[in-house]
Amino acid sequence: MTWTDEELVARSIRGDAESFNELILRWERPIFALAYRTIGREEDARDVCQETFLRAFRALPAFRGQSKFSSWLYRIALNLCRDWMRRERRSPVVQAPENVDLLELAAAAEPSESIEDLVERKDRTRSVERAMALLSEEQRTAIVLKEYHGLTFQEIADLLGCPLSTVKTRLYQGLTVLRRELVKSEKTMVGRL
Amino acid sequence: MSDIFCTYSGRRDEAIIAYLYEDGPALERSAFESHLAGCDACREEVESLRAVRGQLAQWAPAALGRLPASVADPTVAFDDRAIAGRSGPGAEAGRSWRHEIPVWAQAVAAVLVLGVAAGVANLNIRYDQNGLSLRTGWMSPPVTVSAPAAAAQTSLWQADLTRVEDELRAEMRASQPQTVSAAARPAPADAETMRRVRALIEASETRQENELALRIAQVVRDVQTQRAADLTKIDRTLGVIQSNTGFEVARQREMLQTLAVRVSQTR
Repeated sequence: MTWTDEELVARSIRGDAESFNELILRWERPIFALAYRTIGREEDARDVCQETFLRAFRALPAFRGQSKFSSWLYRIALNLCRDWMRRERRSPVVQAPENVDLLELAAAAEPSESIEDLVERKDRTRSVERAMALLSEEQRTAIVLKEYHGLTFQEIADLLGCPLSTVKTRLYQGLTVLRRELVKSEKTMVGRL
Repeated sequence: MSDIFCTYSGRRDEAIIAYLYEDGPALERSAFESHLAGCDACREEVESLRAVRGQLAQWAPAALGRLPASVADPTVAFDDRAIAGRSGPGAEAGRSWRHEIPVWAQAVAAVLVLGVAAGVANLNIRYDQNGLSLRTGWMSPPVTVSAPAAAAQTSLWQADLTRVEDELRAEMRASQPQTVSAAARPAPADAETMRRVRALIEASETRQENELALRIAQVVRDVQTQRAADLTKIDRTLGVIQSNTGFEVARQREMLQTLAVRVSQTR
């Protein structure tokens, strides 16, 4: 039988640790992805993910169910990401190395993908990472929540505590910056060939 | 006819975003859609932003593929057994994820590890209605006994237990005024246990030292191999540079000779 998040939360509050474990299994990938795309550092994203569940576990008895459990979890994770960025006083880090390791690439290749295609795919990923790192924290968060987590404008507005129109403006501005930066890196890539 | 400049009356950027993501009031979106049919500027912008979204969709950082198997396969229990059972590349991911395991899972893992360690050390740990008991297998190797012998042993064991209990009670009564000094002075049985524990620790330390020495030897060997490879590479590169330089010098010499011949001819 599959329990809903809310049922698992209720069981966890009653002391069923296995139910909370189930919630972790269900949500750790989205939370890690959110943290990684927001702060751009794998290790720190893992820490944020861990801390999110730890805080959620501690605060579980106070969870009244006014919002969805996932929204509540997202809010905790986003607050931690914001704390991290303020503490580090910097933009997200682009982790991709400058020199491409062909051995590593070959190991990561899909069976039908040539090394050239793979290098191109990696280049594009790196371009997106670099462009995302240039966005403001607000724009990046809005784009990550919309593009990769499929939240509605209203859900994002609720999560970030801002008006609906602000969410749309952040998305528009963010996408505009990304367009400019991606065109730039496209030109650089073509110039290298 | 298409507009070159946009004449949309509403909040254009918000309308574009709502249309692009197909989110927000349907009325607003359909109004913008009608506008789009006659506005080149908006159409171009929507298309370019859609292309950006296409590129964003391809952003799959490698880190997201390095999540533990427990995430990829929810049927895998989130404890150390899942990690310990894995080998190969997945094992590395499991190890790096270990510190993310919740506290209670870590406690369970700790108990499991203790159990395994106890097995290795030939320790016998039992928790029953009598409480927690611990003894080493080396002190008394396991013996199979027949039923009557077992019964006899049980009665002996019970008598021993009663005697030990009485002794302990007597000792406790006697040692109450000077608890600290009595606790500080190890009984002969305690001393024996301590000696065995020390021996175990020493054996463990020796094993760790051996492992460390082995690892250091491996690192030294790797460094030496790498150094030899680097030296060979440098040697080869130097050879190429020398041959290039030699060739260049010969060419210069030839040019000088040609020039000298020409000068002498001119004179």
